[in-house]
Amino acid sequence: MNEPVFWLAPLASIFALYFAWRFFREMRTQDEGTETMREIGAHVRKGAMAYLRQQYKIMLVVFALVAGLFSYLAYGLGVQNPWLPVTFIFGGFFSALAGYFGMQTATLASTRTTAAARTSLAGALNVAFRSGAVMGLVVVGLGLGNLAFWFVLVDLFTAGDPGDGAYLVLVTTTVLTFGMGASMQALFARVGGGIYTKAADVGADLVGKVEAGIPEDDPRNPAVIADNVGDNVGDVAGMGADLFESYCGSILAASALGAAAFAAEPAMQMKAIAAPMAIAGLGILLSVLGVFLVKTREGAGQKELLGALSKGINTSAALIVVASAAVLWLLGIENVWGVWGAVVSGLVTGLVIGRSTEYSTSPSFKPTRSIAAAAESGAATTIIAGIGVGMLSTVIPVLAVATGTTLAYLFASGFDPTQMTQGLYGIAIAAVGMLSTLGITLASDAYGPIADNAGGNAEMSGLGPEVRERTDALDSLGNTTAATGKGFAIGSAALTALALIASYIEVIRIEMIKAGTTMLDLGHGFSVATADASLLDFMAYYEVTLLNPAVLVALFLGAMVAFTFSGLTVQAVGRAAQLMVEEVRRQFRENPGILKGTSEPDYERCVAISTVGAQREMAIPSLIAIAAPIVVGLLFGVAGVIGLLAGGLATGFVLAVFLSNAGGAWDNAKKHIEAGNHGGKGSPAHRASVIGDTIGDPFKDTSGPSLNILIKLMSIVAIVMAGVTLSYTLI
Amino acid sequence: MSDYHLYLSLIPEALIASQLEPKEFGSYYAVGRSGRVFGEAIFFELDPAFRSDDFAFDLADERCVTQPDGAPKSSVYLGIYNVLARIPISALGKLYLVTDDGRTLELDRGDYTPDREHPLHLYQEFCPKRPIVASRLEPQAFCRSITDPKRPVNLPRIAFSDLMLGELAFDPMNGKADDLPYPYIGHLRDVLSDFTANTKDSKLVLKHVREGVLYRTVQSGFFVGDHDHFAYYPFPTREELQSTYYDWWRSAQIAHFD
Repeated sequence: MNEPVFWLAPLASIFALYFAWRFFREMRTQDEGTETMREIGAHVRKGAMAYLRQQYKIMLVVFALVAGLFSYLAYGLGVQNPWLPVTFIFGGFFSALAGYFGMQTATLASTRTTAAARTSLAGALNVAFRSGAVMGLVVVGLGLGNLAFWFVLVDLFTAGDPGDGAYLVLVTTTVLTFGMGASMQALFARVGGGIYTKAADVGADLVGKVEAGIPEDDPRNPAVIADNVGDNVGDVAGMGADLFESYCGSILAASALGAAAFAAEPAMQMKAIAAPMAIAGLGILLSVLGVFLVKTREGAGQKELLGALSKGINTSAALIVVASAAVLWLLGIENVWGVWGAVVSGLVTGLVIGRSTEYSTSPSFKPTRSIAAAAESGAATTIIAGIGVGMLSTVIPVLAVATGTTLAYLFASGFDPTQMTQGLYGIAIAAVGMLSTLGITLASDAYGPIADNAGGNAEMSGLGPEVRERTDALDSLGNTTAATGKGFAIGSAALTALALIASYIEVIRIEMIKAGTTMLDLGHGFSVATADASLLDFMAYYEVTLLNPAVLVALFLGAMVAFTFSGLTVQAVGRAAQLMVEEVRRQFRENPGILKGTSEPDYERCVAISTVGAQREMAIPSLIAIAAPIVVGLLFGVAGVIGLLAGGLATGFVLAVFLSNAGGAWDNAKKHIEAGNHGGKGSPAHRASVIGDTIGDPFKDTSGPSLNILIKLMSIVAIVMAGVTLSYTLI
Repeated sequence: MSDYHLYLSLIPEALIASQLEPKEFGSYYAVGRSGRVFGEAIFFELDPAFRSDDFAFDLADERCVTQPDGAPKSSVYLGIYNVLARIPISALGKLYLVTDDGRTLELDRGDYTPDREHPLHLYQEFCPKRPIVASRLEPQAFCRSITDPKRPVNLPRIAFSDLMLGELAFDPMNGKADDLPYPYIGHLRDVLSDFTANTKDSKLVLKHVREGVLYRTVQSGFFVGDHDHFAYYPFPTREELQSTYYDWWRSAQIAHFD
């Protein structure tokens, strides 16, 4: 690693972890409030840790089995990268570690946020946001630090001539396997977490609010703690693992494609690998700066609070535009302004998707208001309107991704469509640009459940109306950031998956050479050395065209997998929620003192039911996501895998946007009515909107976000199983 | 002197003797002893000295006693039909509003000042019938009118609350109705605007309210009266509800499914 700029990555990683530690320590010194507040906080923390323990136990078994299988494939059959079993475990371990730190911080911070809200809104925002920043900075710190470490280690132990173009391609595609562990852990955190959070939420609401008529966050509801735990499980651990995977995946894919794009110029190769690492490193420094800019005055309104957050995020984003230009110029990378243009394309795409999500789901705009208006005619029209809004909400994000990837491709390829690998490198680096300021964008996501739990704690502790007013203001802000955060996560997942699909061919190249296929027979008497073959040569060799039935069939299969996965996760929420409903009913039935407030419900049992239910229910969807690329690879070969990934990505991305935005719009339509429109609270329109919101819950918090994982996981599974596909495919 | 309380329930109409204190009775009446049923309630505590030949007080004396296990007797029903009409206003004590999950708000009688601000009014009746009625009469005049024995159709006694009409009270056709939770707003507008072309004092808006007590839009409070007597129970202000009575108010705001 003889490129000095590369070292910005490990340094920035240490910087991120230092500030994460500092923010964590600051949070710990804050007042934790009254005994009741501490007690409630302890219940949530205990539940969150119980969930993590259960998840880690199952993960340990799954990771051991999969690592064993990888070891057999690598050392027994010789069809797998020998680094994979180790990088797989490390990827999963560090993603889980980031989730653990994030959950610890969030559950400790919510009580302190409530305590701070007793005297000051600005103080409460400070505690909540900086605690959210711990998650953001831990994710980027551990992610980038690991990538830097693995690059150095694999570089040290890989045999070959560093001056040879194929050498760095081998190194980068080897490090790419780190993504498999992160992906697998994200599957547990996002899919399991998504099922958990909604099972607890829907279960708590159905029996508590609807049947027993007790308010939200009422301590008499046995599922209330599970519900509060769920906020952390879904939006802290789940979102964190999802973005950890995207963050690492985008950098890894960009490095692999960079190495491939400049294989003919080894000097430029290292610069192309260092560029995404350096941009990510700069993003960390600017994210920390952004965190310090988030401040507000006492008694600030909703607009000012949003302004305070936007100031931090936008400043970081604006500065990364300038800083990335400088670092690319210093690096002396070929086509510096083209690569920079690709970075900016990614950043702008992320912003457009965020704004578009806000437009589709905010009650300030027409789409959500149209759902609220439709609620006047009943639940059916509310549902129809929500589905319509959700479908239409896919237009801008898809156009943004289409425009962003086209521009990134054109900029990086110097507007020369034949420079395919440079163009694909541009797409990957656009994803890096989008995720470069993840430190602060994830902070604003993780801040949401902290503020939400703080509100719950204030309710359960019976604090005064002025405290609830402050926590409500923070919670409402958290809802807005959560909606835009989901849009951002989906957009980044789509770009990352696209870059990973492009990287797939590079892995195929390495595996072919390893298997002894040194020449590609392109037909008609043409052949080309595998090491020198272009991407178009591979497309020709594997007949990746729409006229190849294997590609067509796999395209349909990819689309079907996205729908099957969504359907299974939605049904999983229904079944897990049913278990919760039965448990809450049982507790009310067997212990009448609970409703009277004379005896405490068994919170832990509800947490355990949701935890076990989530882990059990995620098994089949997860298995499908992992098995699909392997089975399709074995049946239809490389062309089939590419068709599957393309079908899965195109359908999964659009479906994820639809599900998340429809759910968000239903939720906010209900809030719009509750704010005194269309009859307000208690009106027939309100009842209809509650039904829409309940349907939207698993859409926006389980199936939609889980699709991010599906599209990335299928790509990474295809990458790590490339050797198996090549060795055992039927065609 | 008996050691039990007398409660006049409006939803559903009943006279009940109970050894439970009002708030305990409210909780019991709403969610039952085991918390297996749910339903809101409104009841008055009666003067314990109240007696009438219309009700079997000897039954209460006999059965409303401490149970063998030491528990107080929760309820002995003394009447379930036409009860309000047979209890004088002078016997009514405090009013208790109970939410679905058994949280009780206690209201004292207050001094009534006729509402001269609003030209039009909306009333939710609780007993003996449960319609929503629009009227050009302020609450006391409305009560006197509907209980006027000279009218061919009248009630002996009535309990009701006045509901907010917002801008509709001044401009039924064009006023903003966004935050009013009543079904059939268009019909309500028609009924209210009809007062300009009609000499009627009151008109039926909805025959029966399914949504329960519309606490969110209670304007000034709860009323009970007949042609000669009238009692007013002021409802707390929104600020008081959100601070002093927050738990009850939060519970009253829950959206329930039927």
